[in-house]
Amino acid sequence: MEVRAGVFLCNCGGALKNIDFDAVASEMAGIPGVASVHVSSDLCLAPARDRMISCIREENLNRVVVAACSPELTEYPLRRTVQSAGLNGHMLSMANIREQCSWAHEGDVTGKAVELVKMAISRARLLQPVEEVEVGVERSVLVVGGGFAAVNVGLLLAAAGLRITLVESTGTSGSDGQELGSIHGFDIGSLVTAAERDQNIEVLTSARVVTVEGAIGDFTVTISREGKNMARKYGAIVLATGSRIELALATDSDSSAEYQGIGGTNVVSQDQLVERLSRPASGVKPATLAFMVDFADESTRFSTLATLGNALAVRKVWDSEVYVFCRDVKVDSQGAERLYREARDRGVVFVKCPAAPRITSDNGRVMVEAKDVLLGEDITVACDLLVAEAVLYPDPATAALGSVLGVRLDEKGFYQENNVHLYPVASERKGVFFVGTCRGQSDVGRVMNDISSVVINIKDLLSSGKIMVESERVKVDSEKCVACLTCIRVCPHAAIELRGTEGGKEKAVVSDLGCHACGICVAICPAKAIEFQDYRDDQILAQIEAVG
Amino acid sequence: MKSASRDVLVIGSGISGISSALELAKAGITVHLVEKEVAVGGHSASFCCKATDVCVRCSACVVPEKIREAVLHPEIRLHTSSTVRKLAGKGGDFRVEIVHQPGPVDPEKCIACGLCTEVCPVDPKAIHAPPVEATPFTYVLDQGLCLRFKGEKCVLCRESCPTTAVEFERKAKAVELSVGAIIVATGFDVVDARERGSLGYGRYPNVMTGLDLERLFAREGRLILPCNGQPPRSVAFIQCVGSRDRRHGYCSHVCCKYAMKFGGLLKYQNPDTQVTIFYIDLQTAGKGFARFYEEYKDSIRFVRGVPVEISEAASGELEVKFEDISLTRVSRDRFDLVVLSVGIAPRKDAWDLAKVLGINMADDGFFAAAESNGSNEASVKGIFLAGTCQGPRDIPDAVDHGMAAASEVLQLLDRVGARPAGSWGY
Repeated sequence: MEVRAGVFLCNCGGALKNIDFDAVASEMAGIPGVASVHVSSDLCLAPARDRMISCIREENLNRVVVAACSPELTEYPLRRTVQSAGLNGHMLSMANIREQCSWAHEGDVTGKAVELVKMAISRARLLQPVEEVEVGVERSVLVVGGGFAAVNVGLLLAAAGLRITLVESTGTSGSDGQELGSIHGFDIGSLVTAAERDQNIEVLTSARVVTVEGAIGDFTVTISREGKNMARKYGAIVLATGSRIELALATDSDSSAEYQGIGGTNVVSQDQLVERLSRPASGVKPATLAFMVDFADESTRFSTLATLGNALAVRKVWDSEVYVFCRDVKVDSQGAERLYREARDRGVVFVKCPAAPRITSDNGRVMVEAKDVLLGEDITVACDLLVAEAVLYPDPATAALGSVLGVRLDEKGFYQENNVHLYPVASERKGVFFVGTCRGQSDVGRVMNDISSVVINIKDLLSSGKIMVESERVKVDSEKCVACLTCIRVCPHAAIELRGTEGGKEKAVVSDLGCHACGICVAICPAKAIEFQDYRDDQILAQIEAVG
Repeated sequence: MKSASRDVLVIGSGISGISSALELAKAGITVHLVEKEVAVGGHSASFCCKATDVCVRCSACVVPEKIREAVLHPEIRLHTSSTVRKLAGKGGDFRVEIVHQPGPVDPEKCIACGLCTEVCPVDPKAIHAPPVEATPFTYVLDQGLCLRFKGEKCVLCRESCPTTAVEFERKAKAVELSVGAIIVATGFDVVDARERGSLGYGRYPNVMTGLDLERLFAREGRLILPCNGQPPRSVAFIQCVGSRDRRHGYCSHVCCKYAMKFGGLLKYQNPDTQVTIFYIDLQTAGKGFARFYEEYKDSIRFVRGVPVEISEAASGELEVKFEDISLTRVSRDRFDLVVLSVGIAPRKDAWDLAKVLGINMADDGFFAAAESNGSNEASVKGIFLAGTCQGPRDIPDAVDHGMAAASEVLQLLDRVGARPAGSWGY
């Protein structure tokens, strides 16, 4: 098809005085493929955009070249203008003649402006449309995990009309609700019952995810249960596998070797404490009780909240003398500072120590010995009950499932690498989400927000049963592809896979839905088989050649 | 609850409001995003990148991305320079009156060509470019400097404007909207460091706040002393200025992190700079943060204890008097520059909005959720809270909270499901 490019020059209200726009316009008029040249003074405003739309229609243009300010400011709005004139939004080529030309130099820069616009025209000739197509998505979600977060996400998405499969590795759902169970007064049982009764929810216990293929909207998942594999289709996947709690008495091996009483009658977990508190009449009431927190792990929002809440409960129920040994009090959770003050007001003693206390045993009592920085002295507290620090570790299956899904872990082995561009519930693979403590330390308020966030994200994606997507923006030439797997290894979003072609050979295919258009595969492909539609080699070479 | 309108009003266009608006817009809901200022984005849009040779996950860079997405979204109607004046009706069927008070420069017309600044006769210029991050990028007329607002007849900028964007007096305009639900995302005020008069903010030029530091770095890319433009040899950060005290009974969540990240950046730019951080409890929870602390714990001096007084020594240095808790004594130390890590406070005008909307506030002055069960619904049904107007949050948590509020709104409008179920005992 004949190239008919319209060149739109903008002089920014006449402020770009070091460019002779008449000269630029007359230079452009003679270039092959240029159908018309227009000079405007305010291309960023609506009236000029409307004039651009009429020009495109009346002059039957099929390329638009804009020379104006930075594309950072105007590219996306201009694309929309081009689209409303009936052209594909990718048929736009821009030259920055303000920030990178007029403002960057003293004196007349008409010559540079001419070259920049010529480059943009050369690129424009080689542009190809990228069509937006409608793709159907599965209105179903796989939720892995059976704890508080998993069950809640399942219930809310089921209520929105999506089909849910809850896959839980243990025999019963709700078993790893312990992530929240260790706060006095929490109950998960009723939630699990609701999920089991929900028609839209299928609960698969003693099951695990074996393989995941495809991309957002169209995942094919193999689930193994009782030795049998079953394949299912899902639009999105939520990992809510929780975490494993281990008790830590001390970080230095000395004292833990000396004291072997972990799990014994007078050293307990938060869970065991909550259980004893719930039947205060049955046991002996401890006269003195100590908590340990923030020694084995820096990231202790959850354990700190549990400690504060449970310390208050102990004061109320048993009226014991309560000590909290800690390095710092982690109060950066909502309500934590209030609880901390309340605990101090109610007589809980906080002992801040630079290193973990030394724990020994003396006649059935637990001796906690530490340096108190406030007193500047070593102190020893003899307690009847010691609540050990609860340290959160990733669930043992985390790494394996992460590798099945192609998502990376953070430095502690939890889901979600430490990437600032991954919002709280997002993963680097589109359509895969993390909720709750499987992505690291959290607290109840944050987990609740995670749940709501993931629910709206998935509703936005799957509710209508279809997604609009740009088709083949990144395209593999299957003639050139030698199936070396380089792109599959480097893709950070698990968006490329091998698929059989008509010739029977397997070739790499980029999923339009899963692709973030980062361009890594384009750059690395040794066979030069992958192209980025807006940044093809021939377009870039043509721009270089256009420079006189 | 039957919704008369599926449109939603979001009050405040900071990172939480924008996150709420985007999620709702993606669900096909028309969102009216009301912003008091000329530019959208709120506080976080002005924060600087704190990377050394590696990214330190300060999240500042994700804000402009979200702003651009929101501004371009066809389902999001922006109402800048606007405030909410009246509310009638109830959840599902609210009628809201917003007042649009346009400023002297019309954002619909300004093309940021700079011709007005060229002709402005006063120095410093009364009309000038906005901060680089401003969206929309509309020129700003400072009425305190402008001759016109001092009673003179200067019209140079108005006459020079090629698009007739400058008009000195504009009338306020009321707009009535029907919405099914409201999200309040009005953000926070930075604590006024003058509250702690003994720390000398406003008196000593070399005492600055964390926010001053953000803006200085955003502009200069490095730290220089306000008094003489020289790089400081020693810098102290004082934590919990306006957090965890009698007036502000909460932790601001962000100050330990930004102080440590700035400390790391100062050490990276000049390893000879002495950095001291005075603190009560170091808040090092959060993804990847423990490793950051490990990396800097030897090169930055951490002192447990919050200073009580700053005075200026004859040498021009600042003398900081503090209780060194670890050594159990009162000490004095001298620094070239002191940064007060000011916290997040409720907005001073929060009470005005609370009155208009009829929603409750908590004792600490932030808007309060009706129940402590994880729901973000305020005491009026159909009004939800997002971000720091409800309590201190960092950028990722504010995004999460904004999305969560949007999720609850969607449930309300769709009349399906409920909030996440559960409760806990404290």
